[in-house]
Amino acid sequence: MPLTPVTKYDFRTGVSAFFEMATSDAEGVLPEYLQPIEVRHQRSVLSVTAFLFDDPEVGPYTELMFSVIVPPQVARWGEHAKAGFFPFLAATSNAPARRQRAERFHFDYLDADIDAQFIETRDRLRVRAWGEGEPIIDFSVTPGAWEETSHILQGYTRDGDSRFRTTVQISGTYTVHENEEGTMKVFPHPFTESLLSQEIAPLPFREHWFKDGTEVFHELERF
Amino acid sequence: MSNDSQGSVATSDDVDTRPSKRIDTESGNEAPPAPSTPSAMEYDYTNFYFGAGDDAFALLGPFDDWWSEVKPAGYYLYELPLHTAPGTRVDVEDTKTHEVREGLVNFASYNYLGLSYRDEVKEAIKEAVEVYGGGSSGSPILSGTTDLHRQFAEEIAAFKDKEAALIFPTGYSANVGTIAGLMRSGDLIVADQYAHASIVDGMILSKAKSRFFRHNRVDDLEKKLKGFEGKKLVIIEGVYSMDGDVPPLAEIVEVCQKYGARLMIDEAHSAFLFGENGRGVVEDQGFEDEVDIHLGTFSKSLGGQGGYIAGSSQLINYLRGFSRSRFFSCALSPVIVAGLRKALELHQAEPELRDDLWDNVAYMQGLLDDAGVPTGDSSSQVIPIMVRDDARVFQMGEEIFREGVFINPVKYPAVGKHKSRFRMSISAAHTKEELEEGANVIISVLQRYGICP
Repeated sequence: MPLTPVTKYDFRTGVSAFFEMATSDAEGVLPEYLQPIEVRHQRSVLSVTAFLFDDPEVGPYTELMFSVIVPPQVARWGEHAKAGFFPFLAATSNAPARRQRAERFHFDYLDADIDAQFIETRDRLRVRAWGEGEPIIDFSVTPGAWEETSHILQGYTRDGDSRFRTTVQISGTYTVHENEEGTMKVFPHPFTESLLSQEIAPLPFREHWFKDGTEVFHELERF
Repeated sequence: MSNDSQGSVATSDDVDTRPSKRIDTESGNEAPPAPSTPSAMEYDYTNFYFGAGDDAFALLGPFDDWWSEVKPAGYYLYELPLHTAPGTRVDVEDTKTHEVREGLVNFASYNYLGLSYRDEVKEAIKEAVEVYGGGSSGSPILSGTTDLHRQFAEEIAAFKDKEAALIFPTGYSANVGTIAGLMRSGDLIVADQYAHASIVDGMILSKAKSRFFRHNRVDDLEKKLKGFEGKKLVIIEGVYSMDGDVPPLAEIVEVCQKYGARLMIDEAHSAFLFGENGRGVVEDQGFEDEVDIHLGTFSKSLGGQGGYIAGSSQLINYLRGFSRSRFFSCALSPVIVAGLRKALELHQAEPELRDDLWDNVAYMQGLLDDAGVPTGDSSSQVIPIMVRDDARVFQMGEEIFREGVFINPVKYPAVGKHKSRFRMSISAAHTKEELEEGANVIISVLQRYGICP
């Protein structure tokens, strides 16, 4: 059955940095029915993303999300997702935005506003986020070659015992590379408390940067 | 810090509040148009590695559909059948046009010293066939060991100046069998992040805790070793096969000794080439005794097949009993062993082969440097031609192939994203004319794509 696009969000900027993390830590985050993808033996992938969305109902807002990369469900060729992700920490800069996304996609958001700043220079995009005045994270990515592209991904969420999956297609002007030029510093904060005890690489092995794109969510499926 | 509760881009004066297109089909509004499907070439092997569901064959159909689209677009450049020996010029079947392209300058084969097709080697093989037949017909610990195998192991040990050596049917099985034969659950293995797949597979099979340090970064190696109590093994390579660079042995040895870690080196691409006697990077850098396990292959510089480890008699004796990949495989064919023994003899009798190789490497590096071709940090006969253009590397590869050069394109996931390249292997047997002819073709194609001026 063809996928049905349901919801489309425009964004001005979206960045995602992939860090190696211990597979044992990734397994601790995931529900038992999902397995982490290993980038190398015993090393899984932590994705740190920040998007600056425009939305007619709730206005511009920032979303900060930590996910573990998981295998996508197999689909017919042409609808084949390149990767899956399971968000385990998410926060937004305003309550209506997270209510909307939490209701629609069963993401479990931090129940407080965060502040975030995207600082773009010619060769770097730096994202800084705070919660209740205390720093949460400061990370940056750098660009490689820019191109127009479109990625199909699968997002996995849960709500109690219910398991959900949605297909997400992200399109826009995009760059990705593995030059290890990005940075990340995670600060002690209730939001990131669970991360601080984990063995996470200090540099991202892959850096993604989208500009002026769209994020299309397809119908949420139970599985 | 942002003063409002929303995100901000510091370079923008005002927040852009243009309307978005959030549309809900459930509420009866018009659905957004389905976005265009990504092209097949935006996918790669990694997208077909994992798959959920109950059917073990679930990935086969989507992979087949993908493959039928991408193979003619460039993936056909892999596994092209050669119709000749892997010499400096080869006849290669173009599986897209079904033509045999003749006399291509060969930069793809590992035949670094040009030994695989030497008349003396072929003659030794013919003689062995008459005595032993085609195969060894048994595990090396049962009936598969011939007197040739035993003599060759002794010759390799003598060449490496070690107490003993053990012969494996492939380089892959040498790594897997050595690592999994030695290390156990609860132990720690730390390998360079660019370690070969056979090293990684050995680590997986060993069930030891595995860590990887950043390529050639000794400070990161130290971090990964620090604080671990128990058995530790560090694994590096002599020449890294995708980049052609070598490890900083002095610093690595120092850190291993500081933390009581054993050190293993895979000299697949450096044994028989580096050092005064060709004993490898360990000889070249002066650390033959400080490295505990010396691994190499026979498929590259000796132009045959198989692998070995060399070290103390105790190490070899132990691994003879615990290297499952060796004793659960059929022994290397005695015919191959006979050819290898002759190739080793020629290697030792003709040290000028190594001089010719390094002369050719310097000559090719000069040609590429003069043309402004980026070649990374190579200091060996493996020269990466860094095009860093994942989308067009196959197109360039196709043009280079059609214009007279056989060389392998390499792209993600074999190397990182946007680190695509052509891997050039130089041989002692190349003539200067062949090097010039091949370089001219490559440079001409790269210029068309703006890779070099």
